[in-house]
Amino acid sequence: MTVLILTTEEDVTADMVVVHLNAGAVPVVRLDPADLTEGAALSGEYVHGAFRGHLSSGGRLVSLDGLRSVWVRRPGVPAARAARPSAWLTEESAQALYGMLRATGARWMNDPDAAHRARHKPWQLRLAQSCGLPVPATLITTFPQAAREFAERYPDLVVKPVSGAHPQDPPRAVPTSRVAPDADFSAVAYGPTLLQRRVAKRADIRLTAVGERLLAARMPVAADADPDEVDVRFARAASPWEPVEVPPRLAESVRGYLREAQLAYGAFDFVEDADGTWWFLECNQSGQFGFVEVDTGQPIARTIAEWLSRPAVPRQARFRGADSAVC
Amino acid sequence: MQPFALNYARPAVDAQVTAGYAYDSGLQLNVTPDGRIAARDHALLRELGTTTSTAGSKTHFDD
Repeated sequence: MTVLILTTEEDVTADMVVVHLNAGAVPVVRLDPADLTEGAALSGEYVHGAFRGHLSSGGRLVSLDGLRSVWVRRPGVPAARAARPSAWLTEESAQALYGMLRATGARWMNDPDAAHRARHKPWQLRLAQSCGLPVPATLITTFPQAAREFAERYPDLVVKPVSGAHPQDPPRAVPTSRVAPDADFSAVAYGPTLLQRRVAKRADIRLTAVGERLLAARMPVAADADPDEVDVRFARAASPWEPVEVPPRLAESVRGYLREAQLAYGAFDFVEDADGTWWFLECNQSGQFGFVEVDTGQPIARTIAEWLSRPAVPRQARFRGADSAVC
Repeated sequence: MQPFALNYARPAVDAQVTAGYAYDSGLQLNVTPDGRIAARDHALLRELGTTTSTAGSKTHFDD
């Protein structure tokens, strides 16, 4: 049984997992959907109440029945490198590939439907609250007056993109940024704006969840850190990430979050305040983990490989009647 | 008339880096010019920052 990894060639973080799969003699096929229909190909046949399908990539052929798991890592846009790419061809290729894969008994990291939902930050914040995770006071609004009133209640605020995406025309980055107390909020009317109470942090926490296993790392804020640099991704790293124990009650909440979100993998970002409380910021359903493993030595890649190596779910249990002609 | 959050935008840092390795389709792994598997070389990965959360991927929301 094969592990299918959907990712780009240059994804060296995926390599960290492939190394462990190879060591365990687990067959792997790596496919970038962007290579449809040049370096990658697919075929599926629905005949006499049965389905048979195949994928090929880089000269490797795998039966869809022979997949034990699918790891959606950093897949390219389907058919993006086709001889004549188009939005229509991308949609055709996405429907064919992901549609057939959905009908297999393979286990997903992460299921595409769950992943799509889990990317929505407003949904994340509400789920985190309902799971008992501390969430800083947050407002998402297009009403300037609502923003002004929120700023009166919480004078120390940050702003960040709702989607996590960054504008590309021209390419710009929008880091989490402090908002001055006397900010002019009139431009809130021109786009949904996410304002959040700034947590005076003494450390950043990255908690990587793989199945039931939680691996957390902590990076303390430097004593001379600029208080205006609130986004750890843009700040100078004062020290490496170090392993840290996950508080039991928080672990319970994180596992509840993953169950509700139907995620097998999640990279949670928290900030730790002066009291030691971990405040939930977001959960990236496909967040990077290589940099944490490189610093901490935590076995994240090996844990992912072990999860992917487990047997597939029997098709009858997942897709009752799939092989039946009964309507 | 630009959205409030864009008042805090800064020019994107060019993410292009000299990889220091290339994909080997036979191995399904990236290898260094001298044939070593890049993923086993943590010093190289740290130096290149290619496994790091980048906050602003053009193609993927999640970092």
